Amino acid sequence: MNTLGRILMVEDDPKDVELTMTALEEYNLANEVIVTHDGEEALDYLYCRGKFHDRSTDNPSVMLLDLKLPKVDGLEILKIVKSDDKLKLIPVVVLTSSREEKDMVTSYKLGVNAYVVKPVDFHEFVDAIKELGVFWAVINAPPPGSVRR
Amino acid sequence: MPLSNVPFRMDRSPVLRYGLAVVPVLGALGIGLLAQHYNYRKAQFTPFIFAVAITGWYGGSGPAALSVALSIPTFAFFFGSPIYSVYAFVSELPSFIAFACSASMAAWFSAVRRRVEADLREARDRLQAEVEERTRQASLLNLTHDSIFVRDANDIISYWNRGAQEFYGWTTEEAIGERSHELLHTVLPAPVEEINRELLATGRWEGELRQTKADGREVVVSSRWSLTRDAGGRRLATLVTNNDITERKRREDQIRGLNEELAKRSAELEATNKELEAFAYSVSHDLRAPLRHMSGYAELLQKKAYSVLDDKSQRYLAMILESAKRMGNLIDDLLAFSRIGRADTQKTLINLDQLLREVQNEMRQETEGRIVDWKIGALPVCYGDRSMLKLVLANLLSNALKFTRNRPRAEIEIGCARENKEEVAVFVRDNGAGFDMKYVHKLFGVFQRLHQSEAFEGTGIGLATVQRIIHRHGGSVRAEGAVDEGATFYFSVPNVDPR
Repeated sequence: MNTLGRILMVEDDPKDVELTMTALEEYNLANEVIVTHDGEEALDYLYCRGKFHDRSTDNPSVMLLDLKLPKVDGLEILKIVKSDDKLKLIPVVVLTSSREEKDMVTSYKLGVNAYVVKPVDFHEFVDAIKELGVFWAVINAPPPGSVRR
Repeated sequence: MPLSNVPFRMDRSPVLRYGLAVVPVLGALGIGLLAQHYNYRKAQFTPFIFAVAITGWYGGSGPAALSVALSIPTFAFFFGSPIYSVYAFVSELPSFIAFACSASMAAWFSAVRRRVEADLREARDRLQAEVEERTRQASLLNLTHDSIFVRDANDIISYWNRGAQEFYGWTTEEAIGERSHELLHTVLPAPVEEINRELLATGRWEGELRQTKADGREVVVSSRWSLTRDAGGRRLATLVTNNDITERKRREDQIRGLNEELAKRSAELEATNKELEAFAYSVSHDLRAPLRHMSGYAELLQKKAYSVLDDKSQRYLAMILESAKRMGNLIDDLLAFSRIGRADTQKTLINLDQLLREVQNEMRQETEGRIVDWKIGALPVCYGDRSMLKLVLANLLSNALKFTRNRPRAEIEIGCARENKEEVAVFVRDNGAGFDMKYVHKLFGVFQRLHQSEAFEGTGIGLATVQRIIHRHGGSVRAEGAVDEGATFYFSVPNVDPR
């Protein structure tokens, strides 16, 4: 395997976080996962603010973004990220429960890199997370300026 | 005495008129001679003056001149010295001059009188003609159904046509002399000063008035006013033409009311739709998350504790997982179903043959290892939303495959049931489990299932989805079947170009 990129996960539901982490762990992808629990925290991370003020300024190699989030929702984050010259290089994968076409269309219009509906079935869920992790953190060559381990 | 009874002298022939000049002169001569016979010589020319005046009166100035011309030699011959000679002594000259002046005066008076009479006659004729014209016009105004009346500067009604009489219910005699606004209880649409300003400025005014008829019923009229002025430009009278628009007004009000109601309803509907959308969104997101967690943790538990669990416990876990999965499918189907109602249909020309082949290809997995006898007839071309109609075919085909699963040889027939100008109809027939026609009304309902879950799995939303899609296309669905003898589903869509 190649070097592993850092994954920024934006997910408010601790159960989803746990399940996702479990799935990633299973494939040894969990070492470099930063979890932020709401939109504001995610933006703090991206802009190295608040408790992230002393982090290295590198961008994560991928952002897994839930849409329904407290404070600042996923679509707003997506809009901010994709309209910021420095951040728009980060590949963003929307990982959501919503199958709504409206969300999907809006996300793609805002320039999302992938849109994944979380499957109810755990096997499928694990497969999806695994594939996402492998593809974005390992196979995909991230834009320059991303964290590589 | 009415002037019209006096015969007009010009009516008589000139012969008669000039003949008339001779008779009074002869009469005057007779009277003169009679007076002379009795030795009364003081005023012998007086009868001649009368003769000239009478002639002038009845014959006009021409005959009057003639009678003067006749009188002078006659007087000279019979009464002027020398007697019985037309010659006269110079001493008689003043008498002749006096006579000539008197006669001319009489003739002149006659002529003046005649001119006055002619003028009067002319004025009378003009007046008569005008009266006739007015009467004719008034009777014309009576022919119209519109209510027409005239009110003077003080708002007093001076003319009232038959239309007004019939419409308002007051006779001409009753209406004339009344104040129009008081009689009709007129409610003006604007302040009266404003209306008068416009009327005086332009000579016209138009508007809608509320009035009350003689029987007390309120009416709405479309009113047009035209002003007549005197030479000084002062307001003389106003001609009012009113059209009854009560019924039209009532309908307009009704339509406006209905429109308002409609707008309100559609606003409500829109709000309901928005709520439904929010609900569906919430279901989509919030209901699936705990389900995912349930199935996730159960799976993790299964993995971790599999070895320590007995068979029963393992089965319990398997049941939890199965139920979670089933609920997931239900939610997905329900969302898809609700999305059909909300999504816009994009109608294009669709080749159903081609669409069916696509659906068949996607179902290859389901038919694997089974003997399926497809009988596919020529399918029509129709207008519809491609992805939606594909869902219809997919649902019907998947049903046909599902319910023929227990047959050694599945027979599925698809064909065109009807194709005409109005609609195209397609049927899907199978030789599967069929259904009891007793329950046919439940077939297309949401969550309605006519088979037990163990026999045939499913969420009970497939046919409801089919019906919803077809209804959105303006078509209809129906089904025929019998238990164990298969089922036939028909759907039709209007054969109209949506463009």
